Amino acid sequence: MIEVQQLTKRYGPFTAVNDVSFKVERGEILGFLGPNGAGKTTTMRVLTGYMPPTEGRAIVAGYDILEQPLEAKRRTGYLPETPPLYPEMTVRDYLNFVSKIRGVPRSERKTRVDYVMDRTRIADMARRHCGKLSKGYRQRVGLAQALLHNPEVLILDEPTAGLDPKQIIETRQLIKELRGDHTVILSTHILPEVSATCQRVVIINKGRVVAVDTPDNLTSRLRGSETLYVQVDSMGVDAKTALEAIPGVTHVALSDTSGAATGFEINSEMGRDVRRQLSSTIVTRGWGLLELRPLRMSLEDVFLHLTTEDVAAPEAAVELANE
Amino acid sequence: MSNILAIAHKELKSYFASPIAYIVIGFSAILFGWFFVNLLYYFDRMSLQAGIGQGGPETVNVNEMLISPLFLNVSVILLFTLPMVTMRTYSEEKRSGTIELLLTAPLTDFQIVMGKFLGGLVLYAVMLSVTVIHLGFLFAFGNPEWRPVVTGYLGLLLMGACFLSLGLFISSLTKNQIVAGMITFALFLMFWVINWISSFTGPTSQNVLNYLSITEHLNDFTKGIIDTKHLVYYLSFIAFSLFLTVRAVDSERWRG
Ligand SMILES: Nc1ncnc2c1ncn2[C@@H]1O[C@H](COP(=O)(O)OP(=O)(O)OP(=O)(O)O)[C@@H](O)[C@H]1O
Ligand SMILES: [Mg+2]
Repeated sequence: MIEVQQLTKRYGPFTAVNDVSFKVERGEILGFLGPNGAGKTTTMRVLTGYMPPTEGRAIVAGYDILEQPLEAKRRTGYLPETPPLYPEMTVRDYLNFVSKIRGVPRSERKTRVDYVMDRTRIADMARRHCGKLSKGYRQRVGLAQALLHNPEVLILDEPTAGLDPKQIIETRQLIKELRGDHTVILSTHILPEVSATCQRVVIINKGRVVAVDTPDNLTSRLRGSETLYVQVDSMGVDAKTALEAIPGVTHVALSDTSGAATGFEINSEMGRDVRRQLSSTIVTRGWGLLELRPLRMSLEDVFLHLTTEDVAAPEAAVELANE
Repeated sequence: MSNILAIAHKELKSYFASPIAYIVIGFSAILFGWFFVNLLYYFDRMSLQAGIGQGGPETVNVNEMLISPLFLNVSVILLFTLPMVTMRTYSEEKRSGTIELLLTAPLTDFQIVMGKFLGGLVLYAVMLSVTVIHLGFLFAFGNPEWRPVVTGYLGLLLMGACFLSLGLFISSLTKNQIVAGMITFALFLMFWVINWISSFTGPTSQNVLNYLSITEHLNDFTKGIIDTKHLVYYLSFIAFSLFLTVRAVDSERWRG
């Protein structure tokens, strides 16, 4: 549905997006993840036809964005980073205007406007001027605007920025409901958002794609070993050695102490569950077992890992991207 | 076409939602009224002198002595008001980011430019129509010829359209509406004083400068003459400015 081929965008001498390629299947939700300045907005601006790429191609809804921009644009809804609102218009007037330039037939305009206002919960603001809306409502009107013409492709640049927690959940729910009928690309810095809504993630850093995979795969692939966290109290001085002696445990590190309680991070061999051994050792030794839980490498860790060691592990990145 | 109208409608609404429309219309009505009263007073004295044979003009004609100079004075009004109409058209959309909505909607650059131009033109037409009231008095109490009045308005509409298209182009070049307004005003002023400068220069350059002067071409219109030479000048001026605007919007995309 969306195909990006070797896309490069330069602003003068500065390369904001560098040789980015990925595909999005029909009905899929793709998360576009990256730190500030990674090039997310720039990529989206190219995909929506706001600016042409310096090199490469983008095909949206089956149309090349440079060769048949109007056809591609007709099938795309776009929420820019700053919701493009006219402050002097009321919310209803604004949505009416957008439905006109988006080519919604006159007879359907009112139903569509009412429908999107209902979906994004802005009906009570219909007569408020856009300039007088709070940040969260501006964001929602921006989202409503993108949905107006029921587009096949939705490109949402940080759709949940500025929303309150309840709204974030509602918006994610809304986006998930779009799955199937619509193809969605959304950008975000919020990692749980990606795990919550997206089927696939593209991680981009400094204009380059560093990984493309499902959120689950990303977290498990990068985990070389299993890590457990245990917290005990009233233990002996030989605790560390005793824990290391448990079969399967590869490494024990002291992680924190608070009062009598001490926390350890315990690495074990991949695929070997040492929890039973661990707890019985602790109990038979007469220590107090306060806590025992697995430490998964979170998407956060993956993200930091991929985006901070950028130059260190280009092969790993390519490998992931090729999956 | 419906896209152009949608943009034009939006532009008009935004003019009337802000003080700009009221300032422009009010200011022009006041200035026009002031010119009108002064010229009427002058005309009154002239006709009185002519009436009692004290070296006034042979015949007095409302059209020549009142309406025509009145129309020519309107260019002064446009000098001040039209930059206010065009300065924000593009600049404000660029600053606030709404340009992103327009450029990612299934619209051509031409439709966007035409829509904005048309919106400004309608506001200008409203501004002109307010001045019709003054002239209504002349028709009520005298019998001026209507033809020069109609062609005069046509000329004014065309001249204003030139200023608007030029202003639109300037606005498409910057994010800052104040800068857009000031440059537009400076350019208008230049086109306005060109024929004044021309009176100090030699005959050839005088012809050239006169041809370039936007106001010079208005003369014949106020006398009831529609000369294709002037029509061509105004229409090509407008077409060229709008073309430049489309180019500017497009090239901005490439520069990013
Ligand atoms: N119009 C522009 N001219 C020059 N450089 C630009 C322009 N727009 C963006 N950039 C640069 O391109 C890079 C990528 O910017 P972009 O806005 O795409 O990042 P982003 O991933 O959306 O970041 P954020 O998470 O902060 O929104 C940045 O370094 C930015 O400074
Ligand atoms: Mg961004």
